[in-house]
Amino acid sequence: MIQKIEEIGSLALRDVAQATSINDLEHIRVTILGKKGRLSDVLRELGSISALERPKIGAVANEWKRKLEDALTGRKKTLENIELSSRLVTEAIDVTLPGRKAETGTLHVVTQTTRKIIEVFSRLGFEVVSGPEVETSALNFDAINIAKDHPARDMQDTFSMGPGVVLRTHTSPVQMRTMKAAGGFPLRVLCPGAVYRCDNDVTHSPMFHQIEGLWIDHGTKMSDLIGTLEFFAREIFGPSAKIRLRPSYFPFVEPGAEVDVSCFQCLKSPSAQCPICKGTGWMEILGAGMVHRRLFEEAGPGFAGATGFAFGVGIERVAMLLHAIPNIRLLYQNDVRFLGQFS
Amino acid sequence: MKISWKWIQELVVLPPSTMPEQVAETLTLRGLEVEAITRQGLGLEKVVTAEILERNPHPEADRLSVCHITLGSGEPLEIVCGATNMKSGDKVALAQIGAQLPNGVKIEKAKIRGVVSNGMLCSESELGLKTTSEGILILPASTQIGVPLALALGQNDIIFEVNVTPNRGDCLSHVGIARELAAAYGGELLLPKTAKLKLGRSPIATVLDAGEAGPQFWGCLIEGVKIGPSPTWVVNRLESLGVRSINNVVDASNLVLQELGQPTHAYDADQLLGNTLRIRDAKQGEKLKLLDGAEIELDGSELVIVDDSGRRPVALAGVMGGSGSEVVASTTRIFLECAEFDPVRVRRTAFRHQRRTEAALRFEKGLDPIGVGEGAARLTELVIELAGGHVVAATAKLSPSRDPKKKLKPAQISVDPSFFEDFLGLKISPSQAREALGALGFTVRGTVKKWSVTVPSYRLDVSTPEDLSEEIARSVGYRAIKPTVPRLNSSPHPRFDNPVAASLWVDDRAKDALVELGFHEALQYAFTSRAWLAQFGIQEGVPVGNPLSEEQQVLVPSLIPGLVQAALENWNHHFGSIAPSIRMFELRPTFHLRAGVGRVEALSEFDTGVEERSRFSMALSGSRLSSGLKPDLEPVDFADLKGVLEAFFSRMAIRGIRFEALKDRALWHPGQSAVLMNGNHEVGVCGRLHPSIESAIKARGNLWLAELNWDALKKLAKQRDRSQRYKAWATFPPIERDFSVLVKSEIASERVTELALRAGRPLAKVVRVFDIYQGAPVPPGMTSIAVKVIFLDESRSLEESEADAVSARIVSEWKQQLGASLRS
Repeated sequence: MIQKIEEIGSLALRDVAQATSINDLEHIRVTILGKKGRLSDVLRELGSISALERPKIGAVANEWKRKLEDALTGRKKTLENIELSSRLVTEAIDVTLPGRKAETGTLHVVTQTTRKIIEVFSRLGFEVVSGPEVETSALNFDAINIAKDHPARDMQDTFSMGPGVVLRTHTSPVQMRTMKAAGGFPLRVLCPGAVYRCDNDVTHSPMFHQIEGLWIDHGTKMSDLIGTLEFFAREIFGPSAKIRLRPSYFPFVEPGAEVDVSCFQCLKSPSAQCPICKGTGWMEILGAGMVHRRLFEEAGPGFAGATGFAFGVGIERVAMLLHAIPNIRLLYQNDVRFLGQFS
Repeated sequence: MKISWKWIQELVVLPPSTMPEQVAETLTLRGLEVEAITRQGLGLEKVVTAEILERNPHPEADRLSVCHITLGSGEPLEIVCGATNMKSGDKVALAQIGAQLPNGVKIEKAKIRGVVSNGMLCSESELGLKTTSEGILILPASTQIGVPLALALGQNDIIFEVNVTPNRGDCLSHVGIARELAAAYGGELLLPKTAKLKLGRSPIATVLDAGEAGPQFWGCLIEGVKIGPSPTWVVNRLESLGVRSINNVVDASNLVLQELGQPTHAYDADQLLGNTLRIRDAKQGEKLKLLDGAEIELDGSELVIVDDSGRRPVALAGVMGGSGSEVVASTTRIFLECAEFDPVRVRRTAFRHQRRTEAALRFEKGLDPIGVGEGAARLTELVIELAGGHVVAATAKLSPSRDPKKKLKPAQISVDPSFFEDFLGLKISPSQAREALGALGFTVRGTVKKWSVTVPSYRLDVSTPEDLSEEIARSVGYRAIKPTVPRLNSSPHPRFDNPVAASLWVDDRAKDALVELGFHEALQYAFTSRAWLAQFGIQEGVPVGNPLSEEQQVLVPSLIPGLVQAALENWNHHFGSIAPSIRMFELRPTFHLRAGVGRVEALSEFDTGVEERSRFSMALSGSRLSSGLKPDLEPVDFADLKGVLEAFFSRMAIRGIRFEALKDRALWHPGQSAVLMNGNHEVGVCGRLHPSIESAIKARGNLWLAELNWDALKKLAKQRDRSQRYKAWATFPPIERDFSVLVKSEIASERVTELALRAGRPLAKVVRVFDIYQGAPVPPGMTSIAVKVIFLDESRSLEESEADAVSARIVSEWKQQLGASLRS
């Protein structure tokens, strides 16, 4: 009987080793080790064997059972691995094909620059206010000390809309709107927005954007203006940026200044070829000054004893410098090849 | 204004070897920006004057000559020349070996047909003196030879282009600039030493008939003048400043203008009638023929000069002289006018008659009231120097306001000197401040605590302590002010306390949301042409009064036409076979006349009658994705646009927006567009551009557009100001049921889902269309809509039987309300 068991066992072992599929293995398991399998059949005859021999045969049978089960498990694992490998080969894809990519959007470079500038001044305590783009000439000019028939009106080419109405030529009327609405101080405001001038060439656009800043308090000094603008220049153009103020004239401030920022391109060695500063080492960025006393008189009694400073930054100018944009018209053509660049 | 470096050096003593570039920097840092420095004679460095000793024909070439020329010393030079207009004894311009002419030509030693040429004889065009010329330049016989040509021509000056700001009318002259430099460098000012005019009875008296609009009028009658060309130094001086030389008397007047900034005029006295010349208001309809030949009609607002003829004015006061009384070659008696006119009157006249002359530009900024008499004296002196003659009589009429013995007193400013330090934040002692002001011509008197500062008569722009502080600051240099940081004396406002800041914050989030959805932010001009708006059936548009071009006719009433234009331009500028995708948005105001307002005009200080409405608009076209394979790159359709809007609304927490079919609006496709409703209010429109517009403008694809009323939607978005609260979700399992509902095709799917939600209350929580089908076996005119209904009770597990019961209610409602049946 032992011989019979060993014969069944070794045959089965051979079959397992030669099996090519998991189904074959299952078939072998059922036909040999199953309830009606051949090994079970043999063991069923164990009852007719003497009690003395029974344990011995039983041990042999169990030994073969274990061997077969191990062989089956091992072979199954092998076959599974083979099957997986071949499946993986057929599942292979070309990873260099284009991805299924959604469009990525961008903010306009004017918006990006405006946000940057607002963020800088916000750190000093400025808040945003706004005013209309179609403005009365009373606020655009007269109330901020640009009298009718004064030569200062020539400084800006104005789009006229009707009697006493213009497209605002600067964000400065918002200063007066804010002062009159507040009726008193302290005031620390920023006004971003579109402004208009009858002008159209490589550096002038009939519509462009400014940010106006206004700080009014007791004892505000011109040195505070300079410190504020220096902080702005460093934040926007890099920590080593310097500013230079040149006396200038804007009717709504006194003293007034044009403010230059050191050219960030040729900081160490100004070059005549520099496309940004043309070799001067300076970029003209903004106009500023101490709020003219006539504006306080115009704004009302709540401004008695106030001093303050104001400044106006051209946003396109800053954007063009920061991004090396050669022509202001590019900003208004809405060409996706332009818009998409500033992600 | 153009300023001559040579002339400035005659008017002020500068430190030795001061370079023009340093002076330019000094002026710029004092507020007189030098925009350009032009060196005359650039390219003429190696061009010298020479004399032709003999001219011989070239042995090998009929058309060439060989000239022997001399520079006055050294060996004569042999020069080959192609011109024919010279002869021996002529003075000519020789470009020497090594010269590089203004036109870029380099002069080298060359052999021309066997003869060595040691330079080139030049024409005026080669020297950059004229744009065209014939033959070589023959210089006057008196020309000294062997000197640089630039020197011989007087072309060796350096010209500054100074940007004089409107407040500094006193610097529109060489003396004005020299005064600034004298203050800057502490140098002596060398003003022309002109004797004062001796006033007496003149055969021609001046009369003030316009009150304070013409407060002083000086005149001088000179006889025996000889009109002729000015001497070379005058011609050179004027022409290097861009002023054409006319004759010696007119040139004298122009020299005074450039030197002192005082406009003057010379009349031919024999052409004036009677014995007075008066300033008066023009009469309406009066005619005046000007020096430039044009006849203008006056409207009565102008100031004019008239003689006793009573017929017509002889000059447009402050702007331009009249024709018929000007100085001509035969003139021998002249009357010089030097007057002061109201700046505003002159400015308006110059604008009205479009003659913004050098004189008008100076009058409109205001003149030194004391300088008028000085101008008259200086002009008299120069005329006699240049044209001879003698003074018959000088005369002057001054209104009391201009009479130094009466009301003309210098302006005084009282100020506590500590103000300067407090206001500027600049460490400066009173003595430094006094010194700075003194150098600029101010006189300081008074006590330690209270100064009285006298303003020089030519500084009409200085009237307040702040003005004085600027004078001090620009004297010591703005860079002397050490930066400080302003002190925050009150706490900042909470952001949502400031409606503008809050509104801007929502705008920013909205822009960010569209960027996340793959859109580019566009920025267009606020104006457009009526013709372009008409393409879209839009008649509205607030007109611009003075557009530069048709593109600026009206302010935009909608952002859509501009976005469409941007799409078109992108398509037109694209070379590839597939049109680029358009995904753009813009958040900007549109402009409208307020209801009940007929036209744009100032209704109050703050009100223009124009309403600015905030719009959020977008344009979508091209493929759904930016990359992928063919099936991924299907063109977008309405569902993409709607999906963008829905995602946008959900990102902005804007709820309750319904899409309703839109019909019959010029701009929109009647079957593929929708109005966006919030309750009963329309808050936007979206859909496809009308196909007839698409074809009219030659669109390269379907354009999907939306324009949102952002003012209204923004209010709904404002809830975002507050932080959102956490909400728990259901923990009991839902039951789902799918239905195929067969309805007439014209029934909107939303009716199916709304009915289901209502009939299924409260267990039917979500009803969603997940497919539609038309075509066999569905009968024509019918649509099969696949709907999923999700039932849920947040507090317990539902029984299948409950879902069945509710489903039955829903199906029966569909049947009753919509005539729908279920497809199995």
